[in-house]
Amino acid sequence: MATKTMAPSRVSGRDRAERRLALRMTAPSLVIMALVAAVPIGYAIWLSLNQYSVRTAGLSRFVGLENYITALSSSEWWAAFGQTFLFAGLSVSLELVLGTAMALLLNLAFKGRAVLRTVVLLPYAIITVVSAITWQTMFQPNMGLVTNVLSTLGLPGGDVVWLGEHGYAMAVIVMADVWKTTPFAALIILAGLQVISAETYEAAELDGASKWQTFVNITLPLLRPAIVLAAIFRTMDALRVFDLPFVLTRGANGTESMSMLAYTQLRENRLVGEGSALSILTFLTVMVVSVIYVRFAGGNIRDVAKEEQ
Amino acid sequence: MDLNRPALPLQDKATTRKALAATAIAAALLLSACGGGAAPQGAEQAAAADPSSGANASGAVNICGVKDASGIYKGTAEAFTKANGKVTAKYTEIGATTDEARTQIVQRLEGKSTECDLFVTDVIWTSEFASQGWLLDQTKLVEANKDRLIPSTVETTKYQDKYWASPFFTNAGLIYYQKDKVAKPETWQQLYAEAAKAPGNGYVYQGKQYEGLTVNFLEMLYSAGGEVLNEQGDVTIDSKETRDVLNFMSDGLKNDSADRAVLTYNEDPARLAYESGDFGYQRNWPHVYRLLNATPLASSFAVAPLPAWEGGKASGVLGGWNLAISAHSTNQAGAVAFIDFATTPDWQKHVAMDYSQAPVNEAAYSDPAVLQKMPFATELLGSVKGAKPRPISPVYPQISQAIYKNVYAVLSGTASTEEAVQKMAEEITTAKASF
Repeated sequence: MATKTMAPSRVSGRDRAERRLALRMTAPSLVIMALVAAVPIGYAIWLSLNQYSVRTAGLSRFVGLENYITALSSSEWWAAFGQTFLFAGLSVSLELVLGTAMALLLNLAFKGRAVLRTVVLLPYAIITVVSAITWQTMFQPNMGLVTNVLSTLGLPGGDVVWLGEHGYAMAVIVMADVWKTTPFAALIILAGLQVISAETYEAAELDGASKWQTFVNITLPLLRPAIVLAAIFRTMDALRVFDLPFVLTRGANGTESMSMLAYTQLRENRLVGEGSALSILTFLTVMVVSVIYVRFAGGNIRDVAKEEQ
Repeated sequence: MDLNRPALPLQDKATTRKALAATAIAAALLLSACGGGAAPQGAEQAAAADPSSGANASGAVNICGVKDASGIYKGTAEAFTKANGKVTAKYTEIGATTDEARTQIVQRLEGKSTECDLFVTDVIWTSEFASQGWLLDQTKLVEANKDRLIPSTVETTKYQDKYWASPFFTNAGLIYYQKDKVAKPETWQQLYAEAAKAPGNGYVYQGKQYEGLTVNFLEMLYSAGGEVLNEQGDVTIDSKETRDVLNFMSDGLKNDSADRAVLTYNEDPARLAYESGDFGYQRNWPHVYRLLNATPLASSFAVAPLPAWEGGKASGVLGGWNLAISAHSTNQAGAVAFIDFATTPDWQKHVAMDYSQAPVNEAAYSDPAVLQKMPFATELLGSVKGAKPRPISPVYPQISQAIYKNVYAVLSGTASTEEAVQKMAEEITTAKASF
């Protein structure tokens, strides 16, 4: 670089000027970020520290952490917390496994690959509420596609009221989510696959590695950053799940999520303080989980990046 | 809800006034973006609508409410504009669903918006809106029109001994039954017994965990003589009647009077299931009549009012929509004129004939032209006259949640009747304390 030949003092002076320029150039986007992200979050935190009168709109009383204490000592919050994590755990792991498989298939050279890559993304393009209603119809007792097929084939589950039973209802919600977002995970993983150089595989082949050995020892480790990235995106989304349980069960049969609880308090009951506290708790939960991801799994993203350099 | 919430001692405690004022100002500043004012203003301070003002009204009136699926709102606005000559009315859709419309209306009312003169309000919103001082007191107007309105529909507009809206059209549950398979239902017990006799006789209703389950449950509870709140507003749901009805409903699922699938049904899935022809009885709203008539069941189904509880009387729960005048309306006289028009016996006939909605004027139900378009008008009137409003409280949404969540728990088998009744009563008491 040009700076290499310059004296140290002039380097730092130039550096500082560059930094100022960088700051000036990023300032507009920083301000916009603050406006659309930081301000609403700060406002929600403020709301969550107050109790609002249902009787008189706008009248409030500062209650400190009372709303949080109420929420954290309620069985409903912890039930929703557990149910949301169960949903996230099941759906994200299925999506990653299926997404990896799908990505490997799409990475093979075959005729019509470009078309298939587009088609595979279709479920992701469908609005969640619409797909939820479709799933609801498919699992309808007596006349739904799935229940009909199951009972015609004499398989178990044909006479089950899927959305009316604990466990089964969660299964439908997980299925609906996996169906919709596996393509998204596949796409990210596919991008990761394409970065792996052909030489690595050639070397493995020369060394006499089997297909399975190649997959376990080469593909998977090199794919890890992409998988972790997909996992972060999907987990953050899954922990905020709202539309699927809202349409499919209205939170019945052990499917009420943290976001649904917050919505009920905020919108239906107009308990602004309590609802905001629940939203902030949801937000914190998602944040903690993503920090953990980045700390423990995300380190690999940097390692791999270094190795590649 | 378990999220216990102590009562807000705002207006009563002078000692905390100063701190409160500071907080209120801060909150008001923050809320000003979405228009939340901090001045205490309740139902007590509300202004009243003058019934005679409608005659001299002029200018424009804007009516706001939910998406106009049947065309009744726009149709009424046009007919009124034509008939009146001086006032022009238009209808503005501000929400695709009932819930969305409520959110939109609340936002406008909190922000003291003058955009809408009239709101089309769901019967369960009256007390919430009135308690905030958002609506014009319509007591005098309702008193003046009382002889042409069915009393049960007027009750849905009442809060603290005043009327806050005028009924526009009403709604009540009906029983649709296959007359070739099952008998006309006289009592709930007879309906359930008949439904259990053969696999194709079953009863379908709305048993999903949502507002509709509250309605289905209350219809039976009211006919059994039970109630949620008494006249004084005390919680009286912890009763023998509540236990009887809950046991009856959950037994019905166990002995196949009703298919377990009802636990996932709201209105439309219930109708679709019934249309398969595999059931004997269906509880649903009047609009289903037209839809059933377009199916192969057209010749075999009949309509009945909701049955009575054995040893009790027939009752039901009123639905429907009211017309409420915004406290911030800039054309109150125009709004009064619109209400006068919408509730006339003549227009109420059109409500039934042109839009298939249930009129709030009794004479309309026996009009030959109406009977031709709506052959089940007599049964519908039976259901409407026997029906009662849902619990009248500004925290109705919370009360309804306490009802449908706990009823659902019993029906799905995750709670015993005893647990559910106690929890229901507890949660309703907590909900009332949040006001």
